[in-house]
Amino acid sequence: MRIVVAEDLFLLRDGMVRLVEAYGHTVVAAVDSGPATLEALLSTRPDAAIVDVRLPPTFSDEGLKAALAARQVIPGLPVLILSQHVEQLYARELLADGHGGVGYQLKDRVLDADQFMDALDRVAGGGTALDPTVVAKLLGRPVRADPLATLTERERSVLALMAEGLSNTAIAGKLFLSEGAISKYTTTIFAKLGLAGDEDTNRRVRAVLTYLDAGAGWA
Amino acid sequence: MRVPVGGNPLRWGAEIALGLYRSVVLTLLTVLLPTVAGFVGFGGSLVAYSWTKGSTAPLAVRALASLGETLVIVVWIAAGVWMVHLLTSRQLAQAARRVTRRWLALELEVSYRPVFPVTRMATGYWWDGVEYQKSEREARRRARMQARFHDPQLHWDGLWGVVAGVTVLPVAALPPLAVAGGGYLIAARGLPLPGVAAIVAGLAAAPFAWRVLRPVAVRFLGTTPQSLFGRRVRQLEAIRADQTQAQVAELERIERGLHDGAQARIVAMGMAMQVAERMVDTDPAAAKAILADARATSAAALAELRSLVRGINPPVLAERGLVDAVRALALDAPVEVTVHSEVPSRVERPVESAVYFAVAELLTNVAKHAHATEVRIELVYRSRTLTATVTDNGAGGAAAAAGSGLSGIERRVKAFDGRLLITSPAGGPTHITVAVPCALS
Repeated sequence: MRIVVAEDLFLLRDGMVRLVEAYGHTVVAAVDSGPATLEALLSTRPDAAIVDVRLPPTFSDEGLKAALAARQVIPGLPVLILSQHVEQLYARELLADGHGGVGYQLKDRVLDADQFMDALDRVAGGGTALDPTVVAKLLGRPVRADPLATLTERERSVLALMAEGLSNTAIAGKLFLSEGAISKYTTTIFAKLGLAGDEDTNRRVRAVLTYLDAGAGWA
Repeated sequence: MRVPVGGNPLRWGAEIALGLYRSVVLTLLTVLLPTVAGFVGFGGSLVAYSWTKGSTAPLAVRALASLGETLVIVVWIAAGVWMVHLLTSRQLAQAARRVTRRWLALELEVSYRPVFPVTRMATGYWWDGVEYQKSEREARRRARMQARFHDPQLHWDGLWGVVAGVTVLPVAALPPLAVAGGGYLIAARGLPLPGVAAIVAGLAAAPFAWRVLRPVAVRFLGTTPQSLFGRRVRQLEAIRADQTQAQVAELERIERGLHDGAQARIVAMGMAMQVAERMVDTDPAAAKAILADARATSAAALAELRSLVRGINPPVLAERGLVDAVRALALDAPVEVTVHSEVPSRVERPVESAVYFAVAELLTNVAKHAHATEVRIELVYRSRTLTATVTDNGAGGAAAAAGSGLSGIERRVKAFDGRLLITSPAGGPTHITVAVPCALS
């Protein structure tokens, strides 16, 4: 895959580039600021991008803004956002366009290279890869929106793992169930959330979105 | 204003009697300085104008002389009033404050200058706050005099005496004078008609006359403007002391967090790596296990650093400002929280942080104590003040008791001249407002 890496700290950027290359991908651009990120994303159109939220020049959420701007021009451009902290607020903004191909993870996740590269693959494939911390916070919220209230406990945990971006096989592994059972659960979930059958990946993203919207705290 | 309800003569009677009593009290409280001025003026004029009586000097000279005499009388009046003021103003003003509190429920707190505690100097002299005295007794006496007569509040009370003498007195004295005058006309002069008219007018005015007290009291019976400054200085000093304390406590907390948490874990990691390095050739499997442990330790250290950073300066606040940071808080809250914002742009950073932590604390309180199911947060910036209102539909009964989270919030926003307003009747709903004056950045 052709990858763009945006990270302002040299050590981390260098490490990330080496990691990505060790897994057989090509880094087409390694940049260190918000404007440079947007430029690189638009000019190289990578298969996936790894972007730090906080970048120069303002050291606020430059990286996130650049990624969102790039995705407006190229819908569904896969980006994996990294941050020292994760917020539902940002997850919501990233997923809002409904195109998928979005990851949002703590920087610590880089420590587990296999899982990290797996998440990158999922994002590149148009799926989602939310950090378990975000998902845990979502799960901690009281259920109140109607479509979600109809889900059973088991269905909710399947949906949560789906939000993290796991495949049916992976979910089956985590919940010690057969893959067939999981696929039954996902079908029920899609039906209950009123997501009619189109392409599976897209439906998964929309299921997660429904999940996020249920927690919408403001009008 | 309380007006007697029509159709109830008993009620009228009570109002009139009360009004008459209050008018008499006010008259007594304010009559002293005008009386002194009157006596001195009258007596003085008898004496002073006699100096040129029967003079045959030209008119111009006589006019000049009587002008001089008038000036002398004015000086005498001033001196008399000044002396009586020094001796009586404090007591009279305090008495007026007591009736103001009782009748109008108007709290006019003042503080008089305290007596300076005399101290013995190394030279053997006694310091009374102004100068050195030979004996302790003399120093104490001087300190008492100083406190009593060089008190800005005393002179402010004197001003009240003068102002009340020309405003409150003429109005308040009218009803009792009219009643007494009417009685005199009937009894001594045998003039029943004008007498009864005067009594009726006096009684009719009685329930209203004493009310002249409020406007004058509000302006002149409170704390002297000078000591308002003093109070403000003391307030600011207290805030500064609080702030430095809080800052030290905060730094200690951060230091401990780093020392016991991340720092210790990084040391452990270093040691583990050293062991792994030594074992990698002899026992690669064990070395791998140790390295895996070290990685877990590094993850824990990161998690600790992250929570520490959140407590110092939450990243969302730094990246997005108050409104989005509060939204992020709302999303993480265990109850349903809606956020409404009328804040046009980011506000000053220190205020942003103070209000953020206040709202965070309020939300924690709601989750812990209120048993609420819905919370509404409103952020409004209007007339140079940022207000954050947290409303919940919970049990109510919130109060800023000493040592509670609410009093902590109050202390912190006070540092910015802010206020904390709580309305929380038992049974709810609870509104808590944090208002901080600030500028947009």
